[in-house]
Amino acid sequence: MKAARFDRILSRVVDIRPGERPFAALLFLYFFLITFPAYIIKPVKLSLLLRSFKAGDLPYAYLLSAVLIGFVVALNARLIERLPRRRYQAGTILFFMSNLVLFWFLFKSHWPGLRLIYWFWSDVFIATTVTQFWIAVNDVFHPHQAKRLIGFLVSGGLLGGICGSLSAGRLARIIGTESLLLVCPVVLVGTFVVVQALHRRRERVEAGDGVRPHVPDRRSSVPSHPLEGFRILRRNRYLTFLAGVLALAVIIGTLFELQFNTILQGAVTDKDARSAFIAAFYGILLIISYLFQLFVSGPILRRFGIKTALVIGPVLLLAGALSIFVVPAAALLGWAVAARGVDKGMDNTINQSVRELLYIPVPAAVKYKAKLFIDIFVTKFSSGLGALLFLAAFTGLGWPVRKISFLSLALIVVWIVLVRLIHLEYIRVVKQDLERRWEDGHKLVAEKVDLDMTRLIFDTIQSREKSSSLYLMNLFDLVGKDNLTPELKKLIASQAEDYRLRSLDSVLDVGAEASGLDVGDILDDADWQKNIREILELDSYRKVMDDYLHKTLSGTNRADEISRMEAAKLLGLRGPSAEVVRGLKALLADPSAEVLNYAIASAARIRKKELVPALIGHLVNPQIRQIAADALVAHGEKALPALKSHLEDGRKGLDLRRAIPDVLARIGTPRAADMLLGELDRKKAEGLEAEVIEALFRLKSRDPDFRFREKRIIPLVLDQIRRSCRLFLDLCSAKAEASCPDVRSDVRMALALKRIFELLSLVYPIEDIVRAYQNLLTGTERSADYSLELLDNILNKEIRDSLAPLVEAWPPEERMRRCRKLLLESRRPKP
Amino acid sequence: MEIRKRTQGDVAIIDIEGEIKRSDISDVTLHQVVKDHLEAGLRNILLNLEKVRFIDSFGVGEILASFISTQNLGGKFKMARISKKIFLIFDVTMLTRVLEIFDTEESALQSFPKV
Repeated sequence: MKAARFDRILSRVVDIRPGERPFAALLFLYFFLITFPAYIIKPVKLSLLLRSFKAGDLPYAYLLSAVLIGFVVALNARLIERLPRRRYQAGTILFFMSNLVLFWFLFKSHWPGLRLIYWFWSDVFIATTVTQFWIAVNDVFHPHQAKRLIGFLVSGGLLGGICGSLSAGRLARIIGTESLLLVCPVVLVGTFVVVQALHRRRERVEAGDGVRPHVPDRRSSVPSHPLEGFRILRRNRYLTFLAGVLALAVIIGTLFELQFNTILQGAVTDKDARSAFIAAFYGILLIISYLFQLFVSGPILRRFGIKTALVIGPVLLLAGALSIFVVPAAALLGWAVAARGVDKGMDNTINQSVRELLYIPVPAAVKYKAKLFIDIFVTKFSSGLGALLFLAAFTGLGWPVRKISFLSLALIVVWIVLVRLIHLEYIRVVKQDLERRWEDGHKLVAEKVDLDMTRLIFDTIQSREKSSSLYLMNLFDLVGKDNLTPELKKLIASQAEDYRLRSLDSVLDVGAEASGLDVGDILDDADWQKNIREILELDSYRKVMDDYLHKTLSGTNRADEISRMEAAKLLGLRGPSAEVVRGLKALLADPSAEVLNYAIASAARIRKKELVPALIGHLVNPQIRQIAADALVAHGEKALPALKSHLEDGRKGLDLRRAIPDVLARIGTPRAADMLLGELDRKKAEGLEAEVIEALFRLKSRDPDFRFREKRIIPLVLDQIRRSCRLFLDLCSAKAEASCPDVRSDVRMALALKRIFELLSLVYPIEDIVRAYQNLLTGTERSADYSLELLDNILNKEIRDSLAPLVEAWPPEERMRRCRKLLLESRRPKP
Repeated sequence: MEIRKRTQGDVAIIDIEGEIKRSDISDVTLHQVVKDHLEAGLRNILLNLEKVRFIDSFGVGEILASFISTQNLGGKFKMARISKKIFLIFDVTMLTRVLEIFDTEESALQSFPKV
């Protein structure tokens, strides 16, 4: 009961799914237990350093850290490569614990140089422990999961910071600054325990999935080069952009910080009052950051995505940097507090969250080394660079503190450009992890099989037993094809038997059996086809055959099926003429499927508009539907008017109308596409919807450059989503929410989703949509997560929010609630 | 042509007897039978052609249409026990590049992805 109530409260601020709770809780604690000591170590470092040096010397301390930190990065990169993750993290914690005790002991000597060493050490501690925490997050969560949970996780860090600050503030006067260090190892014991628990749980989960936790093979791995992190960055555009974004944020943050320190030093001259002011400022800032992170960051990320979250920080700082030029002198301290507050607040919350999310889809092979380099070296180096810029402008050029904001402004503009670029790269990196799970069937067949040729081969072989004339006419067609392979010639020649000449027989009364004609000779005889073609074009031949065909196809002496098949074939070999069209019209009404097969194939060659209605009529006949469709496609735009009228005519049978969209897709012209869209727009598309949508998708698959207007398609997408929601609610039993269908297991929902994604592919990059759909349906948990993340970043907000109940792995009651809300909103009249 | 249906695990096996040709179709076509299975949620289809003596171009069209429908839903469509004569034609017309054909039903069933 208590657990359920706790879950309900927690669910108001964070969307945690079953199975995620233990990891989320452990990581929350982990972050809490490293920022707690960090916010004790920080004020100790500043306080001790300022005993020996002035505030104006601080930039030099930053520079020192920046120069030395590279060695720490190289060492960490080597350790992370060679040691199992568990040992690396646990060993680091124990190392830092021992260091803290050692520093406490050594501070008794009051050696000033030790404070500088401690300054550098504290930077290493904070950077390393925080980086290790984020490595742990990367190991556990996928991008879409992390986006949901990061607000919660970061709030753990902020809470740790608040508790650490408050503890430092209270205990400093009681036990002294140096003795504060002894509090940290005690807290770090908790960190050690949490890290062990995290690894044990991960190992259990992976064992359950049959996955062995990664253990690096020390014998085979090449030792890292100290500059490997830099090399990785150089080769990887995404990581370079990421480093650039972080570097700019840190440089700008350093400029704001030094402006803040300078203004504060001028406004509050008493040292103790200043210390109290700083302590209060950072304390309140942490509390506000914590609340912001818990209640605002997460919803921003979930609702607006990474793209918006990336730009919030720089836009606010842009406003801050501009505003210094209009703020009166008396209000400068207020400006400094606000600007530094926004900068540090954003850095503690949404900027940090987004930066960490950007790491998650990076392949593990490069991620951790690059992360160490970026998080530790680039951060410190940028901090040093910011300090250097400040020194150069403030001390070197004598700029007033307001003018420093020019530097910030220039850098913020670059930052804003860079966030746009990095978002595009982020999408590309997420996509890299998504592979097609299956190829399109039509495309596979079209690429590998010549269907016309295949059909002709089968007809040729079959016709050999029916009629020698039919057989030879089919051979004539085959020989005319360029792609008659030697194997095929051999097959046909080896299966040839004696045959009888029948066409010419009946006209010229030859009546003799021809025997011994080698089909192989025909196939190799280049002149054979030329001779036949010349005969077919003779006026005399045409006259004779027209009479023959007239007798064959009409009257009470209507010829047998074979003769009609021969006639149908022959008509296709002749050029288009009134007699040919008349003959084919009659044959297209023939009761025999075999005759129709040849008649339709001939109609496809002749391509006369008068034959189209008859061809359309045959779309209902399963025996010849496919060949009739092929013939209509061969007619192209000529067939469109008749196809349109049949499609729109509700009196025509559904079977017939359902066969037309595929023909239109294969014709594939803009007019054909318009007809399909028109059918969807008309509310009378009931019963045809699936076929029309599939046809549109097929059209787009064949020609990805084909453009559909978003304004026309988006309403159709939303309509399909609403229908799918209705289907979902109908399928969920009100009493048994566990019976709610899932797209992976329920074929009706899968088909409903297929229609939505087929429409989406008309206006979004088709390959992205197809991969997302396939991985949502049949992918692993990881690839499904990446699919959701990809969709989050490419779809417009309205579609994303509407689609979510159908694709997100929310509890059934949540999905039902959202579906009902969507349907309710759709019924409200639009403003 | 006679069509019989059975299942083994999550594979729908369609046994065909006779000739798959235009002039001799049953009440329901092969493609329709396959589509019915797909709509019922069975995405693995195995065609047993042991007792098929003859296939014409219509039959090839039905097989290819069934393959395409199955493929486009992420399923697998395979064939087994095809006669040497028919296999030769499939091979020469390059249909074997698209269609998976097995000597025995057992080897075909083993080739389907396990759930």
